[in-house]
Parts: sequence; C-alpha cells; structure tokens
Amino acid sequence: MTTIPLPDPASAIGKVREIFDAVLARERRVFGATSVSNIWRCMGHSPALLEANWNRSRALMQRGRFTPLQRELIATAVSAANSCHY
Amino acid sequence: MRLGVDAVGVTELMGVTEHARAMSTVAGALGLDGEGQPLVRPVDPAAADASAGPMLSEIQEWHRAATGKLDVPVLWRILARNPYYLEATWRKEQALMGDGALSARDKRRTALGVAMAVRGRYMIEQHGAILRHAGDIDADVLEVLGVVDHYTTLNTLSDAMQIESDIRPG
Repeated sequence: MTTIPLPDPASAIGKVREIFDAVLARERRVFGATSVSNIWRCMGHSPALLEANWNRSRALMQRGRFTPLQRELIATAVSAANSCHY
Repeated sequence: MRLGVDAVGVTELMGVTEHARAMSTVAGALGLDGEGQPLVRPVDPAAADASAGPMLSEIQEWHRAATGKLDVPVLWRILARNPYYLEATWRKEQALMGDGALSARDKRRTALGVAMAVRGRYMIEQHGAILRHAGDIDADVLEVLGVVDHYTTLNTLSDAMQIESDIRPG
C-alpha cells in the first residue's frame, strides 16, 4: 500500500508527461522496462520535485568519468547500506 | 538487480557492502571518527608480541603499497589487542577487496560510497587515501559522492512513499 496513489503515466500531461516519457525511454534502453518505474511515478504529483530529481539523475548517473556499471555498483551498495529494498 | 554482472559479481558487491558498513561501524564505535582518545588503546607495532606482530607488519606493507604511507592504521593496531579478531578481519579485508569478478578499484570506490552513506569519517579517509594513491582525482571522488547523494534521495522517497519494487531481475 503506497502512502498516496501513484499517478497513471498514461493520463499525465505537460511537464510530468514529458519527463515520464524520457524516464521510460531511458529505462527501456537500460533494462527493458515496459512502464515508468514506481520510484519516478511516486514523484508525479509534484512536477517540481520530479523535474529536480530527473535533472539530478541525468547529471549524476548519466554524465561523468565512470562507466554506467561503476555508478550502478555504488548505487546498489548505498541502497543496501541504507536498508532500502526497492 | 539489473547490474549486468553475474551472481558471483553480485555476491562480491554485497560482500564489499557489508564489510565496508561493518568497518565504518567499528571505526565509529572505537571513537576514530572524532578527535578524542579511542575507546581501546592501539598496540605499538614495535612492541607487539608474536601473536600480532607479524600481521601488523603485513598490514604495514600493504598500507605502504596502497597509500604510500609508512604507518600501520590505528584501526588495525586497536584490533591487535585481540589477535584472533585482527587476523579474521584482516584476512576478510584481503579476500574481499582485491581483484575478482569486480576490480579492486571499483570495490574500493563502492566501499567509499558506503562509508559516505553511513557518514563514517575515518573509513572515508582510509578509502579515499587508497583511491587517491591509485590515481583517482577530485572529479572521481565527487562522482562517488554524487551517486551516494542521489541514491540517498531515491531511497528516502521510496521508503517514505512505501512503493513496491517493480524492477525485476533480468
């Protein structure tokens, strides 16, 4: 049971729709996703939060000197250390 | 898990994660993150007996090669008060942190990220010194921090929103 209902990506409009489309395009390419993942959907009621974190995701996870795998190793370890099962 | 590494790589990653977290806990518990006296007195390597001396020499040699520094890190000198604890922990460090399915450098960067996530100052400095000696520059350290920062954000949100995992293995 989520804290609040997650928005349906299919009915999103404007900035949220634009970012959900970009998220899905990336997730489809990276791990074969067929729908926007819940971590991004859960921000969809606040376009400002969604946009700020998507911009940070692009800056921190898609640009830099490391390979995507190197970044993903650190991300997974941090999530485990934070006891986050998502 | 969608890392693109096999089960051996994932297990190595989780080993590095739990080891790095445990070492940060140990360092913090001993008071090494602060400026005061440590909770347990360090052994002087020059005065160590046969139960701990050879291992402290081995650690000193590793530390010199890994960081260019000549001392034995205080954490290991404290563990030397219990040679069984010292040996089991040092052998684990060696077994987990060298090249394997994952490279030693990737493991060390991951350990730095874990130490940052749990805010373990002493271990941040230890991992940082090893990575600097291996050639990592400011941009590399900041890249580790950026991933830690961003995933702390996502972990907080996913917990607070109580979302279910929808990322399947594959």
